[in-house]
Amino acid sequence: MESRPLDEETVVARAKRGDATAYEELVRMHQGIAFRVALVAAGDPDDARDAVQDAFVKAYGALGRFRDGAPFRPWLLQIVANEARNRRRSAGRRARLALRAGAVVSGDAAPSPETTALAHERRDVLVDGLARLDERDREVLVHRFLLELGEEETAAVLGVRRGTVKSRTSRALERLRALVGEDVA
Amino acid sequence: MNGLGRELQTLAAWVEWPETPDVAPIVMERLAVPPPPRVRRAARRTAIAVALALVATILAVLAVPPARTAILDWLGVGGARIVRVDELPSLTPARDLRVLGARTTLEAARAQAGFRFADPPDGETAPDEVRVARGLRVSYVWLGGGGDVRLLVTQFPGSVGDPALLKKLAGESTVVERLEVDGDAAVWLEGGPHVALFLRPDGLVGEERGWLAGNTLLVDRDGTTVRVEGAVERSDAVDLVRAMRTDHSFEG
Repeated sequence: MESRPLDEETVVARAKRGDATAYEELVRMHQGIAFRVALVAAGDPDDARDAVQDAFVKAYGALGRFRDGAPFRPWLLQIVANEARNRRRSAGRRARLALRAGAVVSGDAAPSPETTALAHERRDVLVDGLARLDERDREVLVHRFLLELGEEETAAVLGVRRGTVKSRTSRALERLRALVGEDVA
Repeated sequence: MNGLGRELQTLAAWVEWPETPDVAPIVMERLAVPPPPRVRRAARRTAIAVALALVATILAVLAVPPARTAILDWLGVGGARIVRVDELPSLTPARDLRVLGARTTLEAARAQAGFRFADPPDGETAPDEVRVARGLRVSYVWLGGGGDVRLLVTQFPGSVGDPALLKKLAGESTVVERLEVDGDAAVWLEGGPHVALFLRPDGLVGEERGWLAGNTLLVDRDGTTVRVEGAVERSDAVDLVRAMRTDHSFEG
């Protein structure tokens, strides 16, 4: 009942002991990034939602095998991505990027109307460039930069080594640069 | 980080993602099942869980009337086992207070009860009646203006050998939520009817049909199950259980 702020390791430890409240806390903590990862992998919001639900249920069942002290998020996102990919495969869909760069951003970071207009064009160029990359290049950039995952998390989600994430990121940036150039503003 | 990398990072703030659906309620509902295996091996609750699993297998055959009723999932707390089914037996709320045993005083209840139970809150929130059934169930009853039961707290031992609550059947519309009350495992059932099933001393299955149409909180407190039933909010039920103290010496 008491919802005191606890560091994640403590919450995970409590969840492993069967504390459902702690697990619910973990679900709420991570469902945002889990949904986005699933959306990228599944390519469909409904499938992504279902994949996230299944992944959280499966992760709970597998908590006994989760190594104490290990970071929880990469472990979870790996399960999420696998679930989402399985759904995409069973639906017979190809992975596709359905990104839309918004015209409005909230908060103090909102630029002036003039720069917004310019930036908006550049954003469209970047999104278009990402869409034109091949899947392997695109997925590493989307995970690293748009989902803002760390290298370890990206490696877990894509099922590759961390070094592979590094090299793929570097190559994918080169290919994107060839398509969109580099903003010098 | 090169310039293009920084541009992509900036782009992240502009990407319009679909709104994240809140999956927590449905995930927790689907997880209304026993804790992971490691937990079930732990300590005192192991024996209860294993014994209940055996008995409830029999009960599932005996006590779920419609043939097409399927057990969807279950969880256990203390002496109670909650089984979610897709169809409930028909509910006829019991209205005869004698089902709860003879009316008595708290002192007499302490002498009669063969298990350790918590005292009711005192003062203005004290119950209207204390009842003991065969020394194995202690009930506190709060009455409404018309003499109807407004709130009911029942305590019984959590061991299977007693005629304790063995399982509750909860319909699909019932919210079943695990929680903790001061570190004790608890379950909250809200928004739908449920039926309680008991194992009687003669080995037959007794059934308690939804005493009250309200919500239910079950708390496993030191081997005794505390059950709160009534038209109460979760927080009120939790506060009530917290206000109940087990500080008299048990001689049983």
